[in-house]
Amino acid sequence: MSDTASSNTLEQRFVPRDRESFFDAQRRNRRATWRLSVVCVLAILVMGIPLALTTTPLLYAVILIVADIINYFSPLPSAFWHQANEVARFGFVALGWLLDHKPADPQALAIGAAVMLLPGVLLSVVLWLGTNALLKHGGIGGALLALNAREPDQNQIEELRLADVVQEMAIAAGLPAPRVMLVDGPGANAAAIGTSPADARIIVSRRMIDELSRDELEGALAHLIASIGNGDLRIAFRVAAIFETCGLLVALINSPFGSQSRRTLWRILRYGLGGSAKNGGGQEAAAVAEILTRSVTLESDDIDQFFDTTKKKSIFRSIRNFLFFPIFFTNFAIKLSLWFFSSAMLAPSIALLWRTRKYLADASAVQLTRDPDSLAHALQKLNEDGGAVPGGSWAAHLFIVTPKDGNRASSAGPSPRQQELLAQAWISSGQSSGTTVAAQSGSADFPSLVKEFMTVQRSAAGGDAQAQARIRAMTQLLAALDPALAGAIPDPADLAAARSGDRAAMVRLQRASRQFKSQANPQGAAPQGSAGDAAQSSDVTSLSFLSFHPPLKRRLKRLDRMGAHVEIAAADRKAWIVEAVIGMIFAPFLLLIVAMLLLLISILTLTSLTFLVIWLAFIHTLFALVAHP
Amino acid sequence: MRISPELIAIVIAVVAVFWVIASFNGLVALRTRVQNAWAEIDVQLKRRHDLIPNLVEAVRGYMQHERSTLEAVTQARTQAMSAGSNVTQRSAAESALSAAIGNLFAVAENYPQLRAVENVQLLQEQLTSTESRIAYARQFYNDEVMKYNTAQSTFPRNLLAGMLGFSPSVMFSAEAAERVNVQVKV
Repeated sequence: MSDTASSNTLEQRFVPRDRESFFDAQRRNRRATWRLSVVCVLAILVMGIPLALTTTPLLYAVILIVADIINYFSPLPSAFWHQANEVARFGFVALGWLLDHKPADPQALAIGAAVMLLPGVLLSVVLWLGTNALLKHGGIGGALLALNAREPDQNQIEELRLADVVQEMAIAAGLPAPRVMLVDGPGANAAAIGTSPADARIIVSRRMIDELSRDELEGALAHLIASIGNGDLRIAFRVAAIFETCGLLVALINSPFGSQSRRTLWRILRYGLGGSAKNGGGQEAAAVAEILTRSVTLESDDIDQFFDTTKKKSIFRSIRNFLFFPIFFTNFAIKLSLWFFSSAMLAPSIALLWRTRKYLADASAVQLTRDPDSLAHALQKLNEDGGAVPGGSWAAHLFIVTPKDGNRASSAGPSPRQQELLAQAWISSGQSSGTTVAAQSGSADFPSLVKEFMTVQRSAAGGDAQAQARIRAMTQLLAALDPALAGAIPDPADLAAARSGDRAAMVRLQRASRQFKSQANPQGAAPQGSAGDAAQSSDVTSLSFLSFHPPLKRRLKRLDRMGAHVEIAAADRKAWIVEAVIGMIFAPFLLLIVAMLLLLISILTLTSLTFLVIWLAFIHTLFALVAHP
Repeated sequence: MRISPELIAIVIAVVAVFWVIASFNGLVALRTRVQNAWAEIDVQLKRRHDLIPNLVEAVRGYMQHERSTLEAVTQARTQAMSAGSNVTQRSAAESALSAAIGNLFAVAENYPQLRAVENVQLLQEQLTSTESRIAYARQFYNDEVMKYNTAQSTFPRNLLAGMLGFSPSVMFSAEAAERVNVQVKV
């Protein structure tokens, strides 16, 4: 019995595994990209139809009311009204055909469809062009500012090595070397950002170069540089533009109802018209992008406040609510269909597309280094670490591995009071321990103090006794002021021990960092400009239930096929069966829910249309009565 | 309307002319990339020549007894720089230089105090990087040559390549002498 079992495993071990050269892998992933981009375009088209159907009547309503007002002061020629009637007639022909299956001649039907869809489509295209221009205008300065990135120090051996490895990989790919920026943060991760290979930047967290060996660093950076060479930056740019267009549409439709959307729109407009050279322009770009991607998610906002029934009742409020009631329906229909189609169709297909790009970059990275092991090991290490980069949540999909949660918590940072305490302890520790390093920094400029602290901490981790003493002195001083905060400062001896591989020290450090986050969060200083915005997730990837990053196991499996030596746990067959059974049970329910949602969307769309028509007729008659008594 | 044979002939001729133009331009682009990749190797070799005097200066004080090793590196560098444009001679000189640098690093292992000197560390990192840059530049050159040669030799472009004056490029390969030197001791 046991004999056969062992022979089975032996057989499995020595069976010739299917291999794939990196050239073949690249070709296969390129084809997959093509197929999936077709799917994405189809998803956008499908999403566009209900959107155009609901936005078009709104546009007509605006035009009609404006025309009515103009007509009141200086009567418009009758030809205009005649034209308007003709347009409306075609629209009704199309509607009649759709709802009652009334026969209609194809030409009138085609014109009717154009009448119903074209203005909405045009609006979306204009908004899309606008966001494209906006994103180009913002460039990548905003990203870098949000990340607090800095240039590598050529006099430090680790950072020089990073710069060298980037150069080597760029030579291997035959690309101009992208600039490297370092981020001092708790996580180990890296990303390629930019809009084109010409202005591409590579962002690496300082922890990553401490954690990875030179070979692994080569593998990881080869992935990023291959991704730049494959043109992923342009794809990422387009993806961002699509989601931000949806956000802009929602903001535009909400704008009559609330100050928040109006503020957003005004901010975008001001940003789009203003020069990017102005101070804080980059930060503004990141903030705008964040607001726009967030708008797509369903959440309470201006429109709910506007129709809030719990508020004090007044005649004015009732009249206003009655007047704007149809638009509430339209608004809700648009938001629901946007949410449904983007999270059920568009985002997953884009996520799949992005995954093939990641696989392609992996295969190209193997071509560059000719060493699948280095990338595989780097991926394993980075995934274990789950590198969160402070301020990097807006572009989670650009990183090598998924930044784990907690990135928002760490980006919130300590509260002003804590900042004061930290700064105080740091400066006085510098005076008491006798080092003259930081004695001159009497002005409590917190960011520069943090930078200083980071450099001292690094040398402490490297085993510098003086630096370790300084940090201990600070912790002691801090313990007198705020013991909880002092517990959050990692012990320098642990840092040094963790670097040489002491597991217990690593655990202690993790506890300290968690404590720091919980300390920093409750009173966390709200980022300037958008109060309360930080609470919600904001990255593109949060819109999709599918991760934008391929699962590590599949990435490793593909690298294994290209020759990497990695231990991949065999798929658990039982778990697979359980999953399949659960899927079989829940699939019909899921389908039912999807069908119900689709039905709800179509009912909402039609209801909003009907209400809008009645409402418009009412207002139009009112104007007609007033104008020609 | 009937399609006349003349029309078909014209259409075919136009398509053929466009195909010839497109393949010619494609091959020229590939050839330029190959030349560029070759130039990149030279750039990196030049970088190595520039770095060596600094390294030798930095370690001279610590390695008084290894005069011969240091001189071998300096000499190999001078030879590599004066090797001229003859590819065989030059690659022989460059591989001699690689060997001399490798020897220097191996000897430097015996001087622990050298490892503590930051300047030497930085220089060593730069030289290591340059060695791999040269290797990667060669790899990229070979990849580009492969693409160029494949484009020339596949049907139907192979009918055209020779006529338009394209000839296959030669891949960079380890010298026969270097291959012989590789011995695996068991």
